[in-house]
Amino acid sequence: MTLLELLEGPLWIASASIFVVFAAFRLIVILFTGRREAEARPVGSPFLGALRTILGHFLPWRRLLGNGKAWFVTIAGYSFHIGLFVLLLFAAPHVEFIREKIVNLPWDPIPRWGFILSAQFAFAGLITLWVRRFVDPVVRLISRPDDHVAAGLTFIVMLTGCMALGEQSAFLRGLHLGLVELWLIYFPFSSLMHTFTWPFSRGFTGAMAGRRGTRA
Amino acid sequence: MAINKRHSAVRLLWSLFLLAFLMAMPALTGNDSLLAQESSAARAEPGPPNTLGKRSDAEIWHDLRLGAGGIANPPTGSREAGAVINAEGWEWAKLRNPEKSPIVHYGAWGLLAILGLLVLFYLIRGPVGHGEDSGRRILRFRLSQRVVHWSIAFVFILMGLTGLSILFGRPFILPLIGKEAHSILLTAAMQAHNLFGPIFALFLLGLFVHFLRGNFPSLVDIKWLLKGGGFFGGHAPAGRYNLGEKAWFWTAVIAGGALSVTGFLMLFPDYLATRNTIHLSELIHAIAALVMIGFSLGHIYLGTIGTRGTLKGMVDGYVDENWARAHHDRWLEEELEKAESGDQARETAEEGA
Ligand code: HEM
Repeated sequence: MTLLELLEGPLWIASASIFVVFAAFRLIVILFTGRREAEARPVGSPFLGALRTILGHFLPWRRLLGNGKAWFVTIAGYSFHIGLFVLLLFAAPHVEFIREKIVNLPWDPIPRWGFILSAQFAFAGLITLWVRRFVDPVVRLISRPDDHVAAGLTFIVMLTGCMALGEQSAFLRGLHLGLVELWLIYFPFSSLMHTFTWPFSRGFTGAMAGRRGTRA
Repeated sequence: MAINKRHSAVRLLWSLFLLAFLMAMPALTGNDSLLAQESSAARAEPGPPNTLGKRSDAEIWHDLRLGAGGIANPPTGSREAGAVINAEGWEWAKLRNPEKSPIVHYGAWGLLAILGLLVLFYLIRGPVGHGEDSGRRILRFRLSQRVVHWSIAFVFILMGLTGLSILFGRPFILPLIGKEAHSILLTAAMQAHNLFGPIFALFLLGLFVHFLRGNFPSLVDIKWLLKGGGFFGGHAPAGRYNLGEKAWFWTAVIAGGALSVTGFLMLFPDYLATRNTIHLSELIHAIAALVMIGFSLGHIYLGTIGTRGTLKGMVDGYVDENWARAHHDRWLEEELEKAESGDQARETAEEGA
């Protein structure tokens, strides 16, 4: 069995299984472990608080628009996430891979220029956001090694994907796939889980604030 | 019977009509002119031209090189219709020959020479300092400036590594790693280079906007130059940026701009350019890249190990006041004045309140 066959067969199954099992496990733990009832008398509505935070945090944080002039964080955030989402689920080579290995996606892939453009948006956003982690003293202080590993691994996966765009080399394809598998294995144990947990964490903070009659 | 006769008469009429229509067709569509031309040409000079050897092969090729068309025209409407041999491509091929190209040759030597000079300078002069730290800090670069700077630095290094692999791969890397590995390296480098190019252009625009202020020439630059930039001892006065930094800013903007424009032309050759424009673009691209990479080596040296305390300014945003006094005294004075008048304004406002 060649290395590429190994990557496309057993290693793919193993990494995808680890991803599914542990990500599901973490979500179940978060959703069902429960927490002690808050004892203080509620002042406002937790539900409205949760809703306001889940939706409101899509907008730029007002303080970022003022003197801090950090509006680029919001733009880069959208640029990265939308770019990555589009290229992950709509680019022809990915659609083909997902159809072959996982599920028959009902949509047609986007044209190649759309793929390249979404990758460019994703890269520009990711680089900007990652650089900010190093040069904003506050964000640097609250960044853990995991945040850098997550960003770095995502970047490397994207970079090797971009390097394989010529679709001429089995080695480059294997390199990209191997790194995707590493990324999948790392995912459930890292901050990459925010892909799934963001509505819950926003909702929870919002609900707590709403209950206290404040805003998150 | 009568019906049958009528039938065959109608058929005959139809056939005649069809025949007449077919004969008139060329006249209707204008294609007959072609036939007519050909036949009149055939009358004037029977047989294909030059079969009697009135012109030598060398003459024919000479004409073709100068742009005479006629044998293998690309489809009409193409930007190159009519050209059989592109003579300028000849010159381009000589300049761009992977092994013998002067660009590769002088480029490699030039970059090595710059690296050598920097090492020599470091060994002789060592890092430039500013005495003791004062313990008081002053803001030098805002967050957005720092983010733009390191974003373009990151992409620049990626573009540089992939670009140099493309330029120097055949003569220098291939003999080391062999054809197979080299071909993989180059397809990877090219794809990354093409994809990151527009991102570089975008960040370059951001760099221009964020660093333009302070980078215009001023009289103090002459004094700075006469003092040798303070690199060989003594103090050289400077505003927000010194002459060396200004030269780097404008080199980055102009060479980076040229790289971006020629890069776009090469990304979309079918829509934006002719073959000659592409050849010219490629040469400008390679030269601008070598100039920018060469200058960046000096910039990176001075920004890291060359001057103590400079890197901090671009990472945290703040520099020590003594650093500023040593390297950018005019700028420090302005900033301190601004801060003082700001304080005074605040005090007056508070008094008034
Ligand atoms: C890893 C590579 C780089 C390092 C270590 C570096 C380091 C630095 C440092 C420390 C400064 C602050 C200088 C000061 O306080 O006056 C600076 C300024 C600056 N850098 Fe860089 N830099 C790098 C790459 C680049 C690149 C690739 C560009 C442009 C494409 C660039 C453009 C600038 C500009 C425009 C300034 C402001 C000063 C001026 O106008 O020249 N840098 N750099």
